[in-house]
Amino acid sequence: MPSFSLKNVLKSFVEELAYTELDPKAVEEVSSTYVLKLVEEGVALEVAESIFRDLSERISGKKVGRLENKKEIILKEFRRLLEDLFSQAGKIDIWQRTAEAIRQKGYFTIVFLGPNGHGKTTTVAKLANLYKEKGYRVTIAAADTFRAGAIEQAQYWASKIGADFVSLGYDADPAAVAYEAVKRGEKGLSQVVLIDTAGRMHTKKNLMDEMRKIVRVSQPDLKIFVGDALVGNDAVEQAKTFYNEVGFDGSILTKFDADTKGGAALSIVYITRKPIIFVGVGQGIRDLKEFDPEWYLEMLLD
Amino acid sequence: MESFKEGILQVVSKIKSSVLLDTKELDSIIRELQRALLKADVEVKLVLEISERIKKRFLEEEHPPGFSKKDVLIKILYDELVNLLGGETTEELAIKPIPYKIMLVGIEGSGKTTTAGKIANYFKKKGYRVGLVAADTYRPGAYDQLKMLAESVGVMFYGDPQERDAVSLAKKGIETLEKAGAQIIIIDTAGRHKDENSLMEEVKVLYRELKPNSVFLVVDATQGSAVARQARAFREAVPYGYVVVSKMDGSAKGGGALSAVAASNARVLFIGVGEKIDDLEPFVPRKFVARLLGMPDLDAILQRFA
Ligand SMILES: Nc1nc2c(ncn2[C@@H]2O[C@H](COP(=O)(O)OP(=O)(O)OP(=O)(O)O)[C@@H](O)[C@H]2O)c(=O)[nH]1
Ligand SMILES: Nc1nc2c(ncn2[C@@H]2O[C@H](COP(=O)(O)OP(=O)(O)OP(=O)(O)O)[C@@H](O)[C@H]2O)c(=O)[nH]1
Ligand SMILES: [Mg+2]
Ligand SMILES: [Mg+2]
Repeated sequence: MPSFSLKNVLKSFVEELAYTELDPKAVEEVSSTYVLKLVEEGVALEVAESIFRDLSERISGKKVGRLENKKEIILKEFRRLLEDLFSQAGKIDIWQRTAEAIRQKGYFTIVFLGPNGHGKTTTVAKLANLYKEKGYRVTIAAADTFRAGAIEQAQYWASKIGADFVSLGYDADPAAVAYEAVKRGEKGLSQVVLIDTAGRMHTKKNLMDEMRKIVRVSQPDLKIFVGDALVGNDAVEQAKTFYNEVGFDGSILTKFDADTKGGAALSIVYITRKPIIFVGVGQGIRDLKEFDPEWYLEMLLD
Repeated sequence: MESFKEGILQVVSKIKSSVLLDTKELDSIIRELQRALLKADVEVKLVLEISERIKKRFLEEEHPPGFSKKDVLIKILYDELVNLLGGETTEELAIKPIPYKIMLVGIEGSGKTTTAGKIANYFKKKGYRVGLVAADTYRPGAYDQLKMLAESVGVMFYGDPQERDAVSLAKKGIETLEKAGAQIIIIDTAGRHKDENSLMEEVKVLYRELKPNSVFLVVDATQGSAVARQARAFREAVPYGYVVVSKMDGSAKGGGALSAVAASNARVLFIGVGEKIDDLEPFVPRKFVARLLGMPDLDAILQRFA
C-alpha cells in the first residue's frame, strides 16, 4: 500500500491555519501552499485547487467561539468535506449486486473499460478468481480483438482460474464477442460474464464509439473504469471523457503498490463522483483489495 | 519538502523587491508558467528549480529590445526546459558495433512490447536486419504479443514460452539471432516497478549478463510526476541512456516523462503516438515543450528570437 503522506500534508495545513484568523483571506493564503503539496502527492492540480476552495468556503463561513478549538473545527470540516465527497460517490456492493442480478435474470455482466495498459485484463482475471472462489460459474470474454497477444493473455488467465472463455479471434467485432459471452449467461451456462475490452485513448472518437457499441450490445449490469494509480493530471481528462462518452458506475485503480501516494484516487472520485470499488496492489491474481473510503479517510486524516 | 513554500514565495518576493520591474506582471506570469508546468505533471521540485533559474536569468540577463516581458520569460523557460531534455537537436542512435543490442525496460504497461515492435519496424525500414527477443517470462501473453508483432513487421523473432529464466532465455536468443545474421537485436523485458525487489534484481542481472549496447526506458506519458521516482530507481539498477515516451496521442502533456528525463540525464529518442506499428516519431524537443506548456503558438514566439 502507498505511503500516505497526504496525511502529513493535511496535518500541517491544519497546524498552520490554527494560528491564523479564520477569515477568507488567511485561509486562502494558507491553502495556496497546500494545494501544491497535494499536487506533489499525485492529486491533479485542478482537483487540489477545488478541494481547498471548497474547504475555504466551508471554513470561512464559520464563527469561532472563544472557547472553541480552531484546529478541531478545521479538521472536522475537512473530514466532513471528504466524507461528503465519498458519500456522494456512493458505494457499490458488488457481491450483493451480483446475487441480485442472478436471482432476477440468471447472470451478471460487467464491462471493463479504460486507457491502454492501465490493467484491465489483469483486473478481469483477479475478479474472475474472486468470483470463482465464491462458487460462481464465470465467463471471460476476449473483446480486445485488437492488441497483439491480448487473446492469449486473457485465455491464459481463464484457464488458470478455471473460467469459461469466449473469443472470436483477432479483428473480430468486439461487440460480437461481448454478445456471444452474454448469450452464455442467457442460456444459463454462466452466472458471471466479465468482458475485457481493448485499451483506448479517450481522445480517439472512433474507439469511443466502438466502446459505446460494446455497451449497447451487452447491456452490462456494471461498467467499471480501470485506471492507473500513477496517472497524474491526465486523470481528470481521462475520467471525464470516458464518463461522458461511455459512462461507468465505478472505478478500479491499479498499481497502487507502485509507490504512489493515493492522490489519483481523490482526483477520480472528485471528478466522477463515482466510487472506487477495488484497488490493484500487485501483478498476482490475489492482488486486489476492496476499497474502503472510511479506511482511506482514516489514513488521510488520522 | 521543507523548502517548498519558501521556494514559491521566494520567487515571488525577490521579484517583488526589485524596483525595476513591474512586479505584479512578472509575478502573475511566473505563477501562470508554474501552473502550466504543474498541470502538465512536471515534478513540483523541478518546477521550483526552473522558476528559480528563470527568475535569475530574467533579472540578470540583458533583454533583447522589442520583446515583451512575457515573451522574454517564455523564451527563457523554453531554453531551460529544452536544456533538461538535452538540447535542441534531435538525437540519432548510432548503430555501432554490429550486432547492436537494445534492451527495453520500464513500469508495467508502459508500452515496452509495443515499442519493441515499433523500433524493429523503424530500423527495418532503414535497411537493417532486425531481431526481437521475448525476454518477458513473467506476464501472460507476452511471448505471443511480441511474436505477433515480429510477424507483422516482418523481422526475426526468438522466444520460448516454456522457459522461466529470462537471463538464459535472452542469452540464447541473442546467440541465435546473431547467428541468423541480425544486425540489431531488441530485447523486450517484463514490466516492473521500483518496489518489486526480485524483478528489479532480475533486470540488473539481465543488464550485467547481456551487456546491451543501449538501454531504453519506456515511459507512459499519461503517468504523473511519480514516474520520476521510478526513473531514478531504474537508473540505479540499469544505467539507461535513452527514453521513449509512449501514449503521446492522448491528452497528457508529458511532464511526468520530462521529470523522468531530468531525473536521469537520459535523452529522449522517440515518442509513441498510437497503438499501431508505424505510430513512432523521432523526438522533437521544440514540439514537446510547446505541448507541455499548452502553447501551440510557441514556435511563432521563438521564431522572432532567432
Ligand atoms: N504492480 C502492478 N502491476 C499491475 C497491476 N495491475 C496490472 N498490472 C500490470 O500492468 C501490466 C498491464 O496490465 P494489463 O492487464 O495487460 O493492462 P490492460 O489495461 O489490459 O492493457 P491493454 O489491454 O493493452 O490496454 C501488466 O504487466 C500487469 O501485470 C497492479 O495492481 N500492480
Ligand atoms: N495509444 C497508444 N497506445 C500505446 C502506445 N504505446 C503502447 N500503447 C498501448 O499500451 C498498452 C500497453 O502496451 P505494452 O506494449 O503491452 O506495454 P508493456 O510495457 O510491454 O507492458 P508489460 O509488458 O505488461 O509491462 C497496449 O494496449 C498498447 O497498444 C502509444 O504510443 N499510444
Ligand atoms: Mg488488456
Ligand atoms: Mg510487455
